[in-house]
Amino acid sequence: MSQSAAEPIEPILTRNFGRPDSHTLTAYRETGGYTGWAKALALEPAAITDAVKRSNLRGLGGAGFPTGTKWSFVPKGHAGPIYLVINADEGEPGTVKDRYLLERDPHALIEGMLIAARAIGSRLAFVYVRGEYVAPWRRFSAAVREAYDAGYLGRGLDVVVHRGAGAYICGEETGLISSLEGRKGWPKLKPPFPAIKGAFGAPTIVNNVETICQVPHIVNRGPEWFAALGTQTQGGTRLYSVSGRVRRSGVYEASVGVTLRQLIYEHAGGVTGNGRLKAVVPGGASAAILRADEIDVTMDVDGLRNAGTMAGSAGVIVMDETVSIPDALRVVARFYAHESCGQCTPCRETTGWIYRMTERIVEGRGRKEDLDTILDVARRGTGTTICAFYDGAVGPYISYIEKFRAEFEALIPHA
Amino acid sequence: MPKLTIDGRPLEVPPGTNLIEAARRLGIEIPHYCYHPALSIAGQCRLCVVDIEKVPRPQVACNTVVAEGMVVHTETERVLETRKSIMEFHLINHPLDCPVCDQAGECWLQIYYMKHGLYDPRMVDEKVHKPKAVPLGPHVILDAERCILCSRCVRFCDEVTGTSELGIFHRGDRSEIGLFPGQELANKYSGNVVDICPVGALTDRDFRFQVRVWYLDTQKSICPGCARGCNIEVHVSRRRVHHAEGRRVVRLKPRFNEAVNKWWICDAGRYGSAFVDGDTRLQAPARRDGEKTLEVAWTEMIPLAAGRLRGYRADEIGILASPKLSNEDLFLLRRLCDALGVGAVDYRVPPARPGDEDDFLIRADKNANTRGAELVGLGGADSRAILAAARERRVKCLWIFCHDLLASAWPEGEVLDGLLGAETVIFQGTNANPTSAYAHLVLPAAAYPEREGTWTNFEGRVQRFRQALPPLGRALPDWEILGRLLQEVQGAPRPARAEDCFRDLAATVPAFAGMSYRSIGDAGQLVQTARP
Amino acid sequence: MTPSRPQFTPEQQAEVRRLQGLYPDPQGALLPVLHLAQDVFGYISEEVEEYVAGLFGLAPAHVHEVVTFYTMYFREPKGRHIVSVCHNLSCHLAGAPGILDHLRRRLGIEPGGTTDDGRVTLLAVECLCACEMAPMLQVDDRYEGNLTPETVDRLIDQLQ
Repeated sequence: MSQSAAEPIEPILTRNFGRPDSHTLTAYRETGGYTGWAKALALEPAAITDAVKRSNLRGLGGAGFPTGTKWSFVPKGHAGPIYLVINADEGEPGTVKDRYLLERDPHALIEGMLIAARAIGSRLAFVYVRGEYVAPWRRFSAAVREAYDAGYLGRGLDVVVHRGAGAYICGEETGLISSLEGRKGWPKLKPPFPAIKGAFGAPTIVNNVETICQVPHIVNRGPEWFAALGTQTQGGTRLYSVSGRVRRSGVYEASVGVTLRQLIYEHAGGVTGNGRLKAVVPGGASAAILRADEIDVTMDVDGLRNAGTMAGSAGVIVMDETVSIPDALRVVARFYAHESCGQCTPCRETTGWIYRMTERIVEGRGRKEDLDTILDVARRGTGTTICAFYDGAVGPYISYIEKFRAEFEALIPHA
Repeated sequence: MPKLTIDGRPLEVPPGTNLIEAARRLGIEIPHYCYHPALSIAGQCRLCVVDIEKVPRPQVACNTVVAEGMVVHTETERVLETRKSIMEFHLINHPLDCPVCDQAGECWLQIYYMKHGLYDPRMVDEKVHKPKAVPLGPHVILDAERCILCSRCVRFCDEVTGTSELGIFHRGDRSEIGLFPGQELANKYSGNVVDICPVGALTDRDFRFQVRVWYLDTQKSICPGCARGCNIEVHVSRRRVHHAEGRRVVRLKPRFNEAVNKWWICDAGRYGSAFVDGDTRLQAPARRDGEKTLEVAWTEMIPLAAGRLRGYRADEIGILASPKLSNEDLFLLRRLCDALGVGAVDYRVPPARPGDEDDFLIRADKNANTRGAELVGLGGADSRAILAAARERRVKCLWIFCHDLLASAWPEGEVLDGLLGAETVIFQGTNANPTSAYAHLVLPAAAYPEREGTWTNFEGRVQRFRQALPPLGRALPDWEILGRLLQEVQGAPRPARAEDCFRDLAATVPAFAGMSYRSIGDAGQLVQTARP
Repeated sequence: MTPSRPQFTPEQQAEVRRLQGLYPDPQGALLPVLHLAQDVFGYISEEVEEYVAGLFGLAPAHVHEVVTFYTMYFREPKGRHIVSVCHNLSCHLAGAPGILDHLRRRLGIEPGGTTDDGRVTLLAVECLCACEMAPMLQVDDRYEGNLTPETVDRLIDQLQ
């Protein structure tokens, strides 16, 4: 929760994190809360969407899609209900930031929802909180009650706080919708896209917690201000969750243009273990791994895409030289095998198989063909499934092996 | 209607058509497992990918609707490679137990792997184990390890029968098809899940380990079970007579007919063919002499039966025809009645209990041809009055087709008095029953898979069933028995084929005017009165 | 633990109806109602699945699909306390395997098991998204991080 040491910025999302009462309506109001909403009330919905477009705000849940553009997909003049759904099903390994926002700045999310709902014409919003997040759910639910009591909610927008029940796939927006509808969290075929036919058959916009928490500030201080905080193609700051072998793991707010090196060495205080960096996952477990010599990249969506990985949820997991990459892949592969929803054949069948192969390799029972088999299976499976879960799994499968192949081979007899 | 191009061939299809159906119109088969035209789109198997110009990645054809100007390629290198990959993935945890799997020979894993296989088995790890040989209900058995989780069976129970017995439980590669604990898959259409299962996960309990499918012959037919007339295929085993415990008809499968039964048949029909090879089949003409029953040759029986019929006055003969007879049989019977001058003919015998009925396929009328019997214009007498006349000795010769009057709604005493009251009881049918025991003359009839014919279903659709087997023993098709009798009685030449009878019928009875076996075809044809 | 015929109290039934009323389709309340059922009945038995299915007019098979899909519904009696140790990457790097081994020895059970006295059910779970406090675990509703064998012992000692 510190500011960037490298390029000090004014804390925005974290501005109140230091206050013990930051979750209360009083504290929120004292620090300018709900003034963005007041301004938004004076704006036409289209003007709000336009401002968000100009701010270059991009989805901070993982996909990095431009938020204003997403909002504009809702059919104009739609007669029936339109739903706003907040994805608080934080689950990407390495990511903790939405928990912080739910617990420490819940009214920012509510205010952002009010503004977003006005922009897309929604009168009913759902906040899907992962089931294990009991304390954040209670904290956020209390804030919703405060907002009702204060008259922010219940006059044009109702908010239902929904609890999940333990499934990573519900963080995928259509898996989340299925789950919200009371079913297994199986992602849905597209088309139709949620903005046309989403939750309960109605146009639905699904946004991440952090994304929506940015919205009041954009309306308050203008899209140009927000855009200027970031890079050419992405505005603002974001919350980086830094963990693994670092001195100070935690949540850090910095520009989307901060470099990975700055995050590791300045914000998080450098590498522990033997002190020498070996590898780092920059955007949650599904992001391809980077070697120590690849960390001079900016953390924005396009910067990391150009580096062959992804910004994802900005969950940074740091590994020093003592970490076994094959063992790390085994752990990650176990996760994907456990969390595959089982709907599409490629993902259902190969996540388990690849986990079994990595387990065998780590246990010294690898076969020399295994590495090429994993690479080939992962490449063949890429892009063949309904949702992005499998492509996310492929990120580590391929990058861990390609970048640290010798380490895997060293574990395989006769390789 | 959108115009598009598939593999370089232009076509125009109705809006909303998906690419699997559009390609099918051109005779292009896009491999698929989870897609079924009767069910919602699941998009789970990922096999039906195609390339579409201007779309960066291959798309699943099942969930892609045609659009104006779309250019589709179903066999690009990328598509073929993807199919290979998907096939490999489907088989990762599949037990590859084809040698002991009933589905072998008609399994879409085998069929597509032959065409699109990677042929490079590299899965050496332990497979995921799941329940095997689990009876789901009276008819269906599950091997969850063979299942590729296409969800067709689940969607069938959700969307077609609305009974929702099945689900996919757990997740990832632990996912498995199953019933809610303690429930059974016992809906009236449960056997259809076996047909739509593209692999050997769901198989028929009564077909299990009976005969290899490649030893079967198939013939187009019609289910005789009720007035719906569901289109079926009869699968018969003639080449391995020692298999399937000697059964010749080893299974029935639905045959698609959009207007009648779509893709489905009910379990009662599907599993109702045992009578064809059953112990009660009448296999030889016979006459009862006191307590003795003597088998006789047809050459002896026909003059004998004709002699009895001619030996009575026309008003001493009562005929209980059957709505299970074909249109051809009924027409020849009508001609015979005309020749003999018999007026006491009816086909209606009320069942002891009203037949089971639903709002889908199953009709309360368990006779295949009630409508045909109405239209052919047989008799006009009242069946119960005929029986009463026999009881009162006014009818001396009672000719009963198929019916077991002792299983009818009529009181047993009334029936027995009628049967015992007649001097001559002739029974003509496929199987013995308590009524046939009272017959003095027994004329064994061929069962429907052993002969040609047509039935007219309750909507007035005339449908052909075809011969899959020779008649058992010395049984003959009803039309042939009747034709021989007519020849004996009248000296008229007898028809050589069922089709000849139908031609005469069409020339005589207005409802059937203009129809022929050719015009009826595989889909059936509505009688004149039923046409819009 | 679960009566053979589960039944919500009138108050709980009212809560079910309130939850169902929050969604455009009442089925949206299935997950929350299953949470409620688990709180009330201890775990989701097949009888509870059937009961809940009845409350929603759903086929029991479809409720069973949901219950078996999510990790937080218990289908067998569980301990009075659930201790879920995260074994995903950040916690793994921070020593989760050692924490899990310590708990195995301390409790005498494998992950998935429940102590004989019914006090604790031990689970190894995927990322709970508290990587900044790795290694961490969840004990009932609470997250506990920066674990050492000693802090884990103290946590277990406090469980009744």
